[in-house]
This record gives sequence, C-alpha cells and structure tokens, in this order.
Amino acid sequence: MSVPDYMQCAEDHQTVLVVVQPVGIVPEDQFFKIYKRIASVSQVSIRDSQRLLYIRYRHHYLPENNEWGDFQTHRKVVGLVCITTCGAAKDWPQTAERFHGQKEVYSSTLYDSRLLVFGLQGEIAEQQRTDVAFYPSFEECADVERRVEDFVESIFIVLESKRLDRATDKSGDKIQLLCVPFEKKDFVGLDTDSRHYKKRCQGRMRKHVGDLCLQAGMLQDALVHYHMAVELLRAVNDFLWLGAALEGLCSASVIFHYPGGTAGKTAARKPSISQPADASKRHRPGALTANGISADTSTEIGRAKNCLSPEDIIDKYKEAISYYGKYKNAGVIELEACVKAVRVLAIQKRAREASEFLQNAVYINLGQLSEEEKIQRYSILSELYELIGFHRKSAFFKRVAAMQCVAPTIPEPGWRACYKLLLETLPGYSLSLDPKDFSKGSHRGWAAVQMRLLHELVYASRRMGNPGLSVRHLSFLLQTMLDFLSDQEKKEVTQSLENYTSKCPGGMEVITLSDGLKLPPVPFTKLPIVRSVKLLNLPASLRPHKVKCLLEQNVSTASPFIYSPIIMHNRGEERCKKIDFQWVQGDVCEVQLMVYNPMPYELRVENMGLLTSGVEFESLPAALSLPAESGLYPVTLVGVPRTAGNITVNGYHTSVFGVSSDCLLEGLPSVKTSGCLVEVIPSLPRLQLSTSLPRSAHTPQPMSKEQLSSSVSVQLFNGEEQQLTITLENIGSEDIESLELTSKTVNTKDKVFGRFLSWDLEEALRHLPLKPGQTVTLSISIKVKLDFSGQENLLPDLNDDGISVTGLPISSPLRQLLKPRAENKAVSSESGKAEYSHIKTLEAVLNFKYTGGAGKVEGYYRELSLGVHVDVEPSVFFTRVSTLPATSTRQCHLLLDIFNPTEHELTVSAKNSKDLVLHPSECQRLAIQVDKFDFESLPQLYQEPASFSSPKQLEEERQHAQGCQINSKLDICWSIISLQSDYRDCMVA
Amino acid sequence: MAVCIAVIAKENYPLYIRSVPSQNELKFHYTVHTSLDVVEEKVSAVGKSLADQRELYLGLLYPTEDYKVYGYVTNSKVKFVIVVDSSNTSLRDNEIRSMFRKLHNSFTDVMCNPFYNPGDPILSKAFNGIVSGMMVQTS
Repeated sequence: MSVPDYMQCAEDHQTVLVVVQPVGIVPEDQFFKIYKRIASVSQVSIRDSQRLLYIRYRHHYLPENNEWGDFQTHRKVVGLVCITTCGAAKDWPQTAERFHGQKEVYSSTLYDSRLLVFGLQGEIAEQQRTDVAFYPSFEECADVERRVEDFVESIFIVLESKRLDRATDKSGDKIQLLCVPFEKKDFVGLDTDSRHYKKRCQGRMRKHVGDLCLQAGMLQDALVHYHMAVELLRAVNDFLWLGAALEGLCSASVIFHYPGGTAGKTAARKPSISQPADASKRHRPGALTANGISADTSTEIGRAKNCLSPEDIIDKYKEAISYYGKYKNAGVIELEACVKAVRVLAIQKRAREASEFLQNAVYINLGQLSEEEKIQRYSILSELYELIGFHRKSAFFKRVAAMQCVAPTIPEPGWRACYKLLLETLPGYSLSLDPKDFSKGSHRGWAAVQMRLLHELVYASRRMGNPGLSVRHLSFLLQTMLDFLSDQEKKEVTQSLENYTSKCPGGMEVITLSDGLKLPPVPFTKLPIVRSVKLLNLPASLRPHKVKCLLEQNVSTASPFIYSPIIMHNRGEERCKKIDFQWVQGDVCEVQLMVYNPMPYELRVENMGLLTSGVEFESLPAALSLPAESGLYPVTLVGVPRTAGNITVNGYHTSVFGVSSDCLLEGLPSVKTSGCLVEVIPSLPRLQLSTSLPRSAHTPQPMSKEQLSSSVSVQLFNGEEQQLTITLENIGSEDIESLELTSKTVNTKDKVFGRFLSWDLEEALRHLPLKPGQTVTLSISIKVKLDFSGQENLLPDLNDDGISVTGLPISSPLRQLLKPRAENKAVSSESGKAEYSHIKTLEAVLNFKYTGGAGKVEGYYRELSLGVHVDVEPSVFFTRVSTLPATSTRQCHLLLDIFNPTEHELTVSAKNSKDLVLHPSECQRLAIQVDKFDFESLPQLYQEPASFSSPKQLEEERQHAQGCQINSKLDICWSIISLQSDYRDCMVA
Repeated sequence: MAVCIAVIAKENYPLYIRSVPSQNELKFHYTVHTSLDVVEEKVSAVGKSLADQRELYLGLLYPTEDYKVYGYVTNSKVKFVIVVDSSNTSLRDNEIRSMFRKLHNSFTDVMCNPFYNPGDPILSKAFNGIVSGMMVQTS
C-alpha cells in the first residue's frame, strides 16, 4: 500500500467501496458522464431495515490497496460496475470475457458486480443475466440510477450476512487470524494454540466486526465492538490493530458527533435525496431498529458512554497514529489517519492541534514517491493548512507543490500547473496583483518572500510561452518592490524586462487569464517618480487678456448680490481646481513635471506625454534621459489644444523599458499639483516684433523679464532724438483685426521734459486686418530731455579756469534765474545723490494690444510689450547765466557759460548768434541778443485749473510752459560733428 | 545560539529580520512567515480566555527538522520570533524567555526614540547590537 488517499475522512469508514471502470473502448467523456450518474447514488436506504448504506465510488483503485481490506473494511472493493460499449451481437462474448477478466482483479473481496453495456442494437441470443444491463446508447439509459440502487441493495445483503456470520462466530473454537499484507510472513510457524495468539485473533476479529457494523449502518454496535477490540488488542500489544481499533472508535464517534461530515466541500455528502430526514436522525433509527430495541433512555445513556467525547476523539487519534508510527509499512495508514484527524480538528476549530498533526504528516516517510505524488501531497497539505486557517503555511506548501511541478527531474515540466499553483499562493503572501492595492500600503512587508514569488511567476509565465504575462509580472515586481531591490537586482530586473518587451511590448490592457483571473495593468509611476505637476501659463506675450468691460458683465450676471456666503463657497471650491489663467487654442501649452530617477543608472523615458480630457489635445511626446539617482529634474511636456473649452490634465504616459504606462494623477497621492483644470479659449493671432535698434538684456525694474517679449537699448546724449523702426509680423494663423499702442515710462525719478516716445499709429492701422505672414512697420521717435543740473561734481571748478564771469554764480543757472523759489526744493532733493554716475537711464515699455479671430469674439486680446532702455549722457551744461543790457531797451544780451562734458567736439548755435565750437571739457561763453518778454503773458495755462490736482503740479506745468517760451526765443542748438548728430538742446526747462 | 531573530509588526509585516549570514536568508524568511500562522492562532486562543493577565511568551511555535521556532507577543501585538538550532539542546525554556525579555526591552528603547516612526523598519544600532549579541553568544 503505497498510494495514500488524501481525500479520506473519518466518515469514509462507514462507506462501502465500489469501483466503476470502463472495459474495452469507452469514450472518456461518456464514461465520466455515466460515472457521475452512478456516483450520485451515494447513499441508499435499505427497504426493510431503515438503515442507510453509504457508497464510495472510485474509477481507479489499486488492487494493492485492496489487500488492506481486512484491516479496514472500507478499503475493500466490494462492488464492481463495468461500463462498456458493444456495437454488435457478435462482439458480445468478447465483451463479457473482458468483464470477467476485470472481475478477477478484485475477486477476493468482491460481493457483487454489474456490467452496463451501451450501444448494442438488437437482441442477444444469450439469456438475460441479472448482472448485465443493455442500453442502446449513452443517452438512452434512464434507469441507470435505479439499477445501481438495486446493485447496492444486493451488496447490503451480502454485507449484512457477513456481519451476522462474523458476529455470531464467537462460539467457534478456531478464529481465523486477519492480517495485513506485510504481516503475513511474520506469522509463519507461530504457535496457533497459545492464549496470546487466540486473543490476538479475537481482538482482530472484533475490530473487523466493528468495521462491518459501521458499514452496515449500526453505529451503536460498532462502538461496542471497537471498545472490546481495543481492550483485547491492548492486552496482547498488537499495536497496528490496536491503532486500527482506536481509529475505528474515533471514526464512529465522529460520525455520531458530526453528521454533516468532516470532508468539507470537496467530498461533501449530498443532502439525502432519497430520505429527506434530518441528518442527525439518520443514524439513530437505523442503529436502534437494527438492534431490535425500541428507542428508550437506556440506550441513549449506553451510547453516550461508548461514544467518545470530542476531546477524546483527538486523544485516541493521537494514540492510534503513534501506534501506526511503529510500523514503517503502515505509513499510508498513518498519513491518512493524520489527514482524517486534521479534518476533525478543523471542524472543532482547534487549529493548533491540527497543525501538530499536519506537522507529523509532513515527516511521514512513504518511501520513494513519484513526482506526481509529491505534488499531490504538498497540494493536499496546503489545502489542509488552508482548512485550519493557516494561510501562510498553506501558501508555503502550495509554492513547494508548484516548484515540484517543474522539478528538474520531471521530463516534461508542467509550467502551466506551476503557474496556476503559484497564483493561488498569492493571498497567503498577502500579495495582490493590482498595483492599486499596493499603493494603499496594505501590502507592507515580507518583501524578500514576495519578491521571490514574483520572480517565480515571471519565470513560470515565460516558460509557459506567455511573454505578455511575464512582462506584466515583471512590471509589477519593478513597480511595487522597487524600494526593496538592491542596485544589482534592479539592473537584472530591468534587463530582463527589456529582453521580454523586445518580443512583447507591455501595455495598459487588462490581461485575462483562462480561469478568469484579471491582471490589471501596472503603470510605472515610480519610473521616474513624479513629485509635482504644474500647468504653466503661456509666455507673457501670448497670454490672453479679457477685455475689461466684458469681464465685469460676466461677474454681474453670475450673481445679483455683492456678497453671498453660498456663492463664495461654491466659487472657492471651483477655484481650488481651476487655474486662473487660460490656454489658447492652437498655441503650444506647457506642463512642468518635477521628476526624479530612483534607479542607479540612467533612465531613458520615451514617448512621455500628457493625458488630458475635455478638449481635443494634441500631445507632443518628449523623450528624456534622466541621470542616475538624479535629484528633482524639471521636465516640460507640451501639447496643443485643438478646440476650446475646459481641459483637465489627468496624468501622463510614459514608455520605459518597452512598457508603456498611463499614470493617472488621482492614483498618485504623493504628487503635488496646483490644479489640473484650465480653460482653453478660442484661438488668437500672434504678433512678432522686430526693431531697428539692437536688443538689450536690460529689463525695466518693476517688470519681470518674462513680461517683456523683447527690449531695445540705445545710448543718447541729452536732447538727442532717434527714430526706432518697429516691424510687426503676424506669425499666427488668425488675422489681426485691431491694434493699439500705449507706452509707459517706468523707473525714472528724473523728470522727463517733453514726450519721450512719440509715434503715429494711423499709417499702421491702415494695413489692418493683417493677414498671417504680413508685416507692418511703425516708427517711433525717442527723444530725451533730462535735467542734469545739480550734478556739480561733473563741473570742474570753473572759476579756476580763468574765465571771468560776472553775474549770479549758480549751479542750475537758468532755473534759479527764472524761478529762484522753486530751486530750493530741487537742490535739497538732488543733493543726496551726488555720487550717481553722470549717465542717466530712461526706461519705458511699449504695449501693443492686438486681437483677432475667434478669440476677439470672446473678448480676449493679447499684449506684446517692448522695453525701451535709453542711457542718457549729458550734452551741454549752462554753468552761468547773466544778462547785459543791449543797445536797444527792448532787447538785452543773454550771456551763457556753456560747458561741454562730452568727449567730443561740440558746436553750439543760437538765434542771432554765430556758432560756438567747444572742445571736450571746455567752457565758453555765448552771448545772445534777445527781445525782452514777460512771463505773465502766458494766459493759456490757467484755462483748465481742474486738470491739475496739486499746486506743485500746477507749478511744474507753468515752468514747462515758460521753458518752451524761452526755448522758442533762444533756439539754442548743439551738434557733435564727429558723431554727425545735430540736435536741439533741451536743457532749458 | 539564535540563528534568526525577527520583529513583526501588529499588521504582520516584518519590522526587523536578521539571520546568521552563513545560511540561506530566504529560508528563514519563509520559516518566520509561516510561523505567524501559529502565533495568530495562539494569540487568538489566549485572548479568549484571559484578556488582561496575558503571558507574553508563547513558547515553542513549532519544531522543524533543523530548527525550533519560539514566539513572543507584546501587549501591542508586536511579535518577536526567535529561531534556534534544534541541535542546541542546552538551551532551556528559561533562557529563551530571557532572550525575549532582553529583546523586548531593547525594542521598547527603540520605540522610545522620538525619531523612530512606529511601523517603520528598525534600523537602530543599539537594537542591532543586542540582536547580534544573542546570535553569536554561544558560537
């Protein structure tokens, strides 16, 4: 007896064994169809006795095991049902011959047999036999079940007669010694007359009768017989049979205590079809009536005494197993007893004791096992551990079984079976193949063990010839176990992943296995790790602006109330998702990701792009290569929205090691994002600007560099004027329909006299609408007039130059002369910055507002700004002013001491005077004859006093007007010959 | 004396596992992992009978051919598992108990560290030292 039946359970002791076998050629599916129908007759109630007979069917049973039938009668094949096909009457004798041959195999134990013949048409010459049934085909055999029931009844009759025969055999002087196969030679030549021998025979026979009683449905009798057998056998130290008697006792008690059975689902007995009585009642009437005693309390008490308590059952099992353990050849019996005990313990929920039995079962040596038997053994151990709730242990053995499937000694490794078993171990190692579960953090721990399992899954799936599966498992391994992999392992895993993906690229589809298990996709959210996602605004020059009045309208339509807490609340929620800038249809939009590479080597990410929803979006994928263990690394993903509306950035997709993954941001709680919803407005035109002047890196201070599309710089002498030609080109796809230009002087503390920037837009506007590709030019004149007075350090000590001057010695001559009161303030404010360099800076921003296309309809426009940076150098200084009376009383001579601070030769001319040439750093006096005039004759200034808010402003304006007056009278010009520049002096305020 | 010492969190994932370097580490992972079944079973059984006065030491979890596995559960359900060589017969129950007590004390120190985040793997050098002491003691 070498092959254990792992499915056995305690209540199998009360069954009779019937073997159902095909003889001749029987199609397998047809055989099993019939087999199933036969097996459905698992319990038969015997007509007269009200007893139940349980039948165990096998389609395969080793005759070798049959030899143990005397030891435990449920191992004895008592019935044989053969199924055969027979096409024609002439084949019949041959078929019958085969049937008899089959009977021979089990002849020693068989009580009865049947033959079911299928497919025979017509009549058989031979007379009708009770043990043969003919059916025309496998379909037309309605009375198979009934025939089987008849057959079982005939078995019962034999069984019952044997039982009675043996039970009353006590009087006989010679009792036959029952023995197991391996004992036979031990008893040769033994003294058969000794008391010891006789007792042994008695004990064994008692035990045998107990078995028969149990099978015949007489539980009470069985218990009595077993008890007697135990006593007899204990006295003669017949351990093997003592064990069997104890086990019999246990089985009978188990059947009494747990009428539902201990086998669990796998071999659960059907709820009785033939007899719908309550399961617990089934045994009692049977046992009682068989004894011929009516049900009364005394038998109940007797039963309770004979029957073992649940605790005792386990103790007796332990004892029995320890006796079996003494015999090497009884390994299978011991193993089966362990399995049975475990099933009982599982029902009693005594997992720890069950595990001890199992632990013992692991060590039972059954000699050389075939690989298949090993797999079976490990699988059953795993199943039993599962039964008692030891999931980890169960997983362990299942894994061992899986490995056994592909042991190197097996010529044809069963990778498929191995893979299937491995999958079943996953829950035991608290692994789920869904990366979503993993990110929840419920799978912490046992990384070493889990990794091993995943590696095995990968390998098994590869050997199965399913590279898609390997890729999926390997991706999962890499994604979830990244933190636990050593650098070397990371390298190996990625290398093999790349190998697999070269054959079968990994994707995002769900892989469904043949048994319905779904393997969800594994996005590589850790390769690279994304830390933040930020949607970027368009560059300043492309940013759309809403026309003010329209915006106000929108706000007012949103709610009639100025303040409402409810609306505020709603808006707040909306705002936290929606970003307060817009993207423009058709323009490239950017999203910045901060990523880093956790791998110890360079990571190549290909085809990285954005996943969006809401509007049609053309993602322009990027490929990047991240250095090993990089820090945070900014990556900008770009795309073009093709329609207008609200766009949501849901995530990004990557392709790493040949596995493409879609990483959704909602699944990545560690990613920081400032919102992913942005509005895309209809397309707007684009304007490009180029200038005649060189570009500069200067940026007007209050504006960031980003806000200016470009800036130009120019160096001018004070009073100089220069033309700036701006060429505007429409580089977008929409017509420019309107254009506005404004300027703003920024960052200057100095007062600018006159218009700094002036232009004429009319000419340019005539070209509108500007078609894509067309250009328009615009010229702007830059004119600088600054007050350099107060910079005394520029002036060398003029008095020492030997130029004799008479008049008022002043530093800011003209102003002091004309308005001495105002000067006090000016001097005091300027005195603090004497250390300033003599170059002054003027900065201004030119703003082009333009719009067109669909965006214009929506009320959006764009702004293009040009920064203008002018460095102003001082040109001509008037160091002293004085007057001399002229020949005419209406005129006078104005004497001006002019200083040239430049490095060039300079010519100064004035009305009614000859040119004056000044060398660098030279000071000369110029005399001009002018008509006298009165400032008070300037009435036009006071016509609009309301437009000037403060007296100071008023004062300045007056000064300005007076300055103009003086200018027109004097008309002083200077020019630098070497630079060929000729400009009007504008020193005079 | 011990060949493997493991600390397992309440949620049954390892906080610390260390085995003698000479042998297959994975094997011990398996041993400790499967021993958790028994620990759980024992804990649930104890919990039923005596809730407050609980013996922390669980005793021998199960013997294997080469090793004996002992268990210990703190009141916060953190498990300690010590695997010793079966051939080492000199080791008595009391010594195992004292090993666990020592381990528990050291573990308490680790938990007292304000920079230690409960649930994180134990990286403490002091703890490592104690464990090393228990592993090499006899050899």
